[in-house]
Amino acid sequence: MWNNFKNGFIKENPVFGLYLGMCSTLAISTSLNNAIGMGVCVTLVLIASNVIISLIRKITPEEIRIPVYIVIIASLVTVCEMLVHAFMPELYTSLGVFLSLIVVNCIILGRAEAFASKNGVLASAVDGLGMGLGYTFALLLISVVREFLTTAGLQFVNPFNSTQVLWSFSIEALKPYTISLFSASVGAFLTFACFAAIFTILRNRSSKKEAK
Amino acid sequence: MKKALQLVLFLGIISLIAGVAVGYVNSITDPIIQENLLASEIENLEAMYPDGEFTALEVSDDTGYVKGAYEVAGQGYVVKIETTGYNSSTPIIALVGFDGEGVISNLMVIQQQETEGFGTKVFEDENIQSLFVGKDLSTPSDLLSGATVTSSAVQSAVAAAQAVVSGLVG
Repeated sequence: MWNNFKNGFIKENPVFGLYLGMCSTLAISTSLNNAIGMGVCVTLVLIASNVIISLIRKITPEEIRIPVYIVIIASLVTVCEMLVHAFMPELYTSLGVFLSLIVVNCIILGRAEAFASKNGVLASAVDGLGMGLGYTFALLLISVVREFLTTAGLQFVNPFNSTQVLWSFSIEALKPYTISLFSASVGAFLTFACFAAIFTILRNRSSKKEAK
Repeated sequence: MKKALQLVLFLGIISLIAGVAVGYVNSITDPIIQENLLASEIENLEAMYPDGEFTALEVSDDTGYVKGAYEVAGQGYVVKIETTGYNSSTPIIALVGFDGEGVISNLMVIQQQETEGFGTKVFEDENIQSLFVGKDLSTPSDLLSGATVTSSAVQSAVAAAQAVVSGLVG
């Protein structure tokens, strides 16, 4: 089970390893706040959908399993979206349409089909947590680089109260050298490509070790 | 046949449970969302009706100009409009105030980037008075010369707001 959990980070990192859920990754990884908000939402939806789908895996008819999964995932995402809209309006505005698009995030349907429909409840929950955190971790890496390059600093704002800055730092000396390109989609692709390369190297190394 | 019925029933039950769950969460979050929307607008609303008590209204509008409507307890209504004038990159956003009978009493611009000296004339006090206040815009009415694009854009949006409010007044 621990391996399932660990897999989600490097070897089978949903973003850098399986290349899933990239659309939202590229779009919202402009700031640390967005990344954490989106990561937490996806993780919660993923755990909940994995648990529910695993619970009903024995009574779900084979023929209609995909529509059933979609109904479950869509309802969970809608619930999540309404909660964010009500309690974190700032986050809701900055994530925009990508919050409701978690429905079609392939990580969630992918894990439902590949893991939760074949495994027990606890294992599915752990898988959801691992994959969700893997996704969050990937978002964090990209967003930290992008936010730092565009603003020469980082900032984390309390999601429940947008006026309260929980943690921030910035380097004045670098302010004149910020690269605003990195807040655009080009920057997202560049950052993503570099990280994907690093992760591939890490993966290759560990598989070579195993081969020996 | 029996199999098909089973499948339909299963999916139906799942959808029903999901629907009830979503409805329940919506009943909790909806009032909070409405309150938040109101809170984000309250500063502008209070500039129009200083001591008003505002409640957000659900209105239907096919024109796309109306972005929100509020009832001011005992005083009238405020409708938020958004329209594109001469400057196609920055839309004009304004609040239109109505009295209890649905007559336009005020217009307050929140955002506009129209051509200085031409389009901006529409938003001068005397022109707001002559173009909008007390007017019935459901029939074509005078535009401001030198600022026809801006004034006609704002007029269509205000007309849409007026149609919404006349529906509210009854």
